[in-house]
Amino acid sequence: MTDHIDGALALRWMNRFTEDFHDAQQALTDLDRQAGDGDFGTNIASALRKVVAELPTAEDATFASVFTATANGFLATGGTSGPLFGMWFRAISRSTAPEGPDTGLLAQGVAAGLAKVQQLGGASVGDNTMIDALAPASQTLLDASTSGLTIDKALTSAAGAARAGAASTADLLAARGRASYVGDLALGVEDPGAVTVAMFFEAGAAVVSG
Amino acid sequence: MSTPTRRQFINAPDDVIDEALEGLVLANPHLLKLDPAERLVSRVTPATKKVGLLSGGGSGHEPLHAGLVGTGMLDVAVAGAVFASPTASQVRAGTLLADSGAGVLHIVKNYTGDVLNFQIAAELAEDDVVVESVLVDDDLATTSTNGGPGRRGTAATVVVEKVCGALAEAGADLSTVAARGRDVVARSRSLAVALDSCAHPGQSQPAFELPDDLVEFGVGIHGERGTGRIPFASADELVEQLVDPLVQDLSLRSGDGVIAVINGLGSTYPLELAIITRQVHRLLAARGITVARTLTGSYVTSLDMHGASVTLTVADDELVRAWDAPVRTPSLTW
Repeated sequence: MTDHIDGALALRWMNRFTEDFHDAQQALTDLDRQAGDGDFGTNIASALRKVVAELPTAEDATFASVFTATANGFLATGGTSGPLFGMWFRAISRSTAPEGPDTGLLAQGVAAGLAKVQQLGGASVGDNTMIDALAPASQTLLDASTSGLTIDKALTSAAGAARAGAASTADLLAARGRASYVGDLALGVEDPGAVTVAMFFEAGAAVVSG
Repeated sequence: MSTPTRRQFINAPDDVIDEALEGLVLANPHLLKLDPAERLVSRVTPATKKVGLLSGGGSGHEPLHAGLVGTGMLDVAVAGAVFASPTASQVRAGTLLADSGAGVLHIVKNYTGDVLNFQIAAELAEDDVVVESVLVDDDLATTSTNGGPGRRGTAATVVVEKVCGALAEAGADLSTVAARGRDVVARSRSLAVALDSCAHPGQSQPAFELPDDLVEFGVGIHGERGTGRIPFASADELVEQLVDPLVQDLSLRSGDGVIAVINGLGSTYPLELAIITRQVHRLLAARGITVARTLTGSYVTSLDMHGASVTLTVADDELVRAWDAPVRTPSLTW
């Protein structure tokens, strides 16, 4: 079992995430239609097409180059979710070591990205946004790092926390983001940004454990 | 009510922005050049060693912003899709292009997407360029008391770009130009009314329908509904409903001076704008307020919206001097 996420693993993580997102895109767009303006799926899919075009080859891939390419793809995308995801991935790309990040460095990068997204977007836990999945996932990773969990167990725990956080948004009234304009209509609908965060960690847990 | 179908001079909706930017630069080869990949319009001869001025935002507001690139005004304009912010990546590229060693000022209209993407772009460029930002939020119709995104940025953007452009050209440093820009914003308020909505390129239906006896009051520049509907009336009566709240909000008194911008929203024709301008002058004169300078024309539009906005900026001698400084752009030249 690996202690680090090297370039090859990072590349498999991102490819897996892209495939999973593609499979779920219609369902996420439907969620956004109920609570937002319906462009979430299209925007993120457009970002991921740019990401795939920018990803390094398997021979050249480092954790930093994979996540930098991911950040750049998202930052070249319209809307507000795309650039926020971009700044989150950018923070993750910066917290690494030559052989790739261990649990501690990954946890620090994810936490730094969370802080950046909160600073830029102004959302807190409970506002029915991507933060509702990101914050518990980040805390779980930090706890896993403190208790010395291996990176596969850490990512699996983080994925579970993110998924539970995404599920919690179904019961929330949005205070930020597009869903804040429709009030009660968004009740019972999971935030597509939070669901996407959960999918990202699930993809990571799957490739690192597999 | 019958719904007239809008027809447009376009080829394909997806090509509207790229083709229009190409046309603008073809018409002004002595002033402008185009980076088609990033949708950046910049001066054909870049300025040297002065504060760079960058603005941009969604398209559909032409001639803002690309038509205001040139000596005495902007260095670079960044175009997004119709009514959608440019990406952070585009704004970053524009910021690097606008820099000639003295830093770059972002002039940003207050919309969530624009604010976010310009802020991220400034951060992405921070290792290479010092960036300051002026947020334009002049639209009196969107004054909110309970948090929220705040007032929208509309036609005062032209005044900010003109005044900051003059200072930058004269060699003022970044913090001075930024401070003056914020001061102009604080002195400016706008209000708009529309007789008819606008239709997106490729769409045959307008964004909203208005009965013949009503007008949309407090509209913005994105085809959205206004704050309310008021009875259609003569130009003089409608203009009075725009000017009175501006005078009140700016606390203008007899003896004060203003720069007035009478702005068409897309399909308002010059005769109409001249009639509106006449009434703005008459109303202000009756209150003892001096109109130091007037700009009448369509500068900050909302596609083909049939409407007009009035912007008043409280002026002093220094502001008027900056306004009078030479400018040479496709849409503003003196």
